[in-house]
Amino acid sequence: MSLLRDVASGLRSLFRKDEADRELDEELGAYLEMAVEDKIRQGMSRQEAVRAVRLERGSVEVTKEVVRSGGWESLVQTCWQDLRFGLRTLRKSPGFTAVVVLTLALGIGANTAIFSIVNAVLLRPLPYANPGQLVIVPEAKLEAGISRAGMSYRAFTELRDTNRVFSAIAGLGGHALVLTGYGEPSEVSTVAVTSDFFSVLAAEPLLGRVFIRGDGERGAASAAVISENLWRNRFGADPGIVGRSITLDMRAYTVIGVMPAGFHTPFLNQTDQVWIPLVQDPLFSVWMTRPPQEHWMNAVIARMRPGVSTTQVQAELDTIGARLAKEFPTEKGWAIRIEPLQQTVTGDVKLPLLLLLGAVGLVLLIACANIANLLLSRSTSRSKEIAIRIALGAGKRRIVRQLLTECAILGLLGGLIGTVVAYWGVATLVPLLPSSLPRFHAIRVDGQVLLFALALSLATSLLFGLAPVLSAAGSDPHQELGDGARVGESAGPRRARAFLAVGEIALAMVLLTGAGLLMRSFAQLTSVNPGFQPNHVVKAMVSLPQFQYSTPKQWAAFSEELMTRLQAQPGMQDSAIAGPLPIVDCCISLAFQIVGNPLPQAGMDDTANYVPASPRYFSVMGIPLVRGRLFNESDSSSSPAVALISEALAKRYFPNEDPLGRRLMFGFPANGVVSREIVGIVGDVHDVSLGKEPGPMLYVPYAQAPLYGAEVVVRSTMGTSAVVGAIRTVTHAIDKNLPVTDILSLPDALNESVAQPRFRTLLLGLFGAIALMLAAVGIFGVISYSVSRRTHELGIRVALGAQPRSVLAMILRETLALTLIGNAVGVPCTIATARLITHLLFNVTPYDLVTLALASLVLVAVGALASYIPARRAMKVDPMVALRHE
Amino acid sequence: MPEKQTDLVQGTLDMLILKTLALEPMHGYGISVRMEQVSKGVFRLNAGSLFLAIQRLLRDGLIEGEWKPTENNRRAKYYTVTRKGRKRLSNETREWVRQVAAIARILEAS
Repeated sequence: MSLLRDVASGLRSLFRKDEADRELDEELGAYLEMAVEDKIRQGMSRQEAVRAVRLERGSVEVTKEVVRSGGWESLVQTCWQDLRFGLRTLRKSPGFTAVVVLTLALGIGANTAIFSIVNAVLLRPLPYANPGQLVIVPEAKLEAGISRAGMSYRAFTELRDTNRVFSAIAGLGGHALVLTGYGEPSEVSTVAVTSDFFSVLAAEPLLGRVFIRGDGERGAASAAVISENLWRNRFGADPGIVGRSITLDMRAYTVIGVMPAGFHTPFLNQTDQVWIPLVQDPLFSVWMTRPPQEHWMNAVIARMRPGVSTTQVQAELDTIGARLAKEFPTEKGWAIRIEPLQQTVTGDVKLPLLLLLGAVGLVLLIACANIANLLLSRSTSRSKEIAIRIALGAGKRRIVRQLLTECAILGLLGGLIGTVVAYWGVATLVPLLPSSLPRFHAIRVDGQVLLFALALSLATSLLFGLAPVLSAAGSDPHQELGDGARVGESAGPRRARAFLAVGEIALAMVLLTGAGLLMRSFAQLTSVNPGFQPNHVVKAMVSLPQFQYSTPKQWAAFSEELMTRLQAQPGMQDSAIAGPLPIVDCCISLAFQIVGNPLPQAGMDDTANYVPASPRYFSVMGIPLVRGRLFNESDSSSSPAVALISEALAKRYFPNEDPLGRRLMFGFPANGVVSREIVGIVGDVHDVSLGKEPGPMLYVPYAQAPLYGAEVVVRSTMGTSAVVGAIRTVTHAIDKNLPVTDILSLPDALNESVAQPRFRTLLLGLFGAIALMLAAVGIFGVISYSVSRRTHELGIRVALGAQPRSVLAMILRETLALTLIGNAVGVPCTIATARLITHLLFNVTPYDLVTLALASLVLVAVGALASYIPARRAMKVDPMVALRHE
Repeated sequence: MPEKQTDLVQGTLDMLILKTLALEPMHGYGISVRMEQVSKGVFRLNAGSLFLAIQRLLRDGLIEGEWKPTENNRRAKYYTVTRKGRKRLSNETREWVRQVAAIARILEAS
């Protein structure tokens, strides 16, 4: 009841303010009049009585204010008042407001943009039902340093049929198949899955149905599910697509369903996709019958039953693993593990993204310090206004609330424009993002991100507002309004300002050093000699449909024909065909044995990366011959089997002997394991990435080990498009249904391979630059304010004979003191934080003295520069003017 | 400073006003005069504190106000204690007496 009455009465005085006011007026008037009459009765004159009553009982206006402020409605009213007053005050100093709002907009916008990336990639749960239940199930052999390998089909079926902890489990492997019959033949990203794939992810189709158990069995009709994007782009969103037949690698599949655009296969960013049952896959289906030691299935994913703990799951997997190891000796040493799907998807990018978020947070912190500084200066010049308001009876709380409202207005305005900046930032950043970033298609400014921006605006308002507001509200009206001429300002705000500037410098140092470290690391990374000469080399992939070209003999014949025709083209003599290209495609890793050496222990095979290459490959790629000979045209399928090894392999496995003439046993399963004679040693290439040491390499003549699709590489001074045009013409002259895809110039490919470090270096560099600029503004603010407050003092000094030089020296000393203290604080902070980015650095230690020294030098120089304008003003102080100033 | 003298324990003023009004309905000035008289000048009420307390009591439904003419033919708002107010007063009085007795015992013990 009483709450209701309270609300009703509050609302009444809020909306019928005049009536409530009049009533209070009348009541108070009567009250005071009665008091006055009493006094008169006691013998006072009316005038005396009125004065006495006011002294004793308080003035009408103050009383009214007190009574009004008693109810909750007054809070609403004063907030509204504060808001209008704040807006008015800010409008009166548009320069100040603009600087603050823009600084904030930049800070909040940058933070919001980075947060929208972090939110999409790291925070937002995976877009599947109950994503917490999803795990990937790799096999691992920790003693051999393999923490995540695929699983054999045999182990998979055992696991699928006997486990009691997963509600569904599915294996998948991805590659590209050639889609023909609808426009230009093209490769589509194809995922071969076992039949429970869609039920693991609990995904529903847009049209038709997904796979059921029957589709995964041998002899079933070949079915395919396609993505909405593919459906729209290639099939014109044909509503009758379900039931129609499409051709993949020259084989017909019946479309049974279309997946909505929001559905993605975990780990894959492609949007044009086809899913087919594993059993129907031209490559993987053959392998379903292979023995378990061939760990091939790219990934196994599973959904844990609700309420089952990860320890229970692991215990069950251990049991099954032990049973498998007993049955198949080759499984010995392998353990089945689980890993949360979310962790696997985002694993590699977590640290760099959090680093960026932290860095951009520091930028905002510096911006806050700057604004706090500005506000402090302003509140000093507003101290008279505030003193008058305190003298007129405003309480400390009331003043704080009013000033904080002003800060909140600034913060919210900053947030509003910051949101625009964030939209723009996201739109600019997304195309720059490395395409390997997981889930990057989900990046956008959404409700959560906007909420973040709002919270950030309010938090920053509090952050930059608190110190200046408290210092303003604490001012003493007696001192502010007294006649004593004030020279200089009280120590409190001045110390606070210096403290803020020091903090800014320290934070800027952390950012600058971080940016410097990443830049140095990036420079180191890009100056790594890849082991081949990428300039003027163009590559394209030519794939052979596996149902049409099914035997190695056909592959070899095709490649020979292709090479002959290609090299006959003008300007295309330097061309070759080869297996996986270094860095571009990474690797096929094969186990090998050195003939004549003792057999390695089971499961402890030596491995190297395997590349079939046609004779001119080494000259096209610019890989030097160290010893022996390269391949030539006479190395054919009928000639003795030969191999080339890389220097790294020679050094590691033949440390004290000449490998030439020795024999190695290895083979890519398609043509089986054979013994090959080592005929030459070639230079190392960075096979995986520029940041990783070159691994051991095995090269075999392409004619002796052809593939069903390979990279064509051409070294030519003609442009990329001319080269690709020639490759296309020649390929289509042989078979018009063959796709020529994955066209890249090698310099571009190398660039792409360092896209992630480049992106973070770029962003951190940008943040470092902003931080430096903000710190400079901060130093400028402190010094110029200090000069303007000390005009009087400087005037006296000049009048007493101080030279402009000594005045300049004094100002510079002050700046230097600030920057040096900032540096002194910054160095330990920097050292503490630099440790966090150790993993992101290449050939640079996080405690790199050069970078640290450079960062502090830059800060000192920028500090000196920032104080130059105020220092010049100080030098020109005219004692006559200065002394009249106060 | 008169205000110092009304610097009472939180809530005590409300109780005193209730007690004063429980004797007879009264207007604001009447309340303050009565309290001064009874307390022999110890409690001199500032108008702000008085009307703030009255507003609080009104909103809690402990008293009710009504405009009436005064003996000098002036209009004033007279306040009456409601039933809820009387109940609150008797509870608080009992509690107050209990506390004062306890405090007195402690103070006398030393």
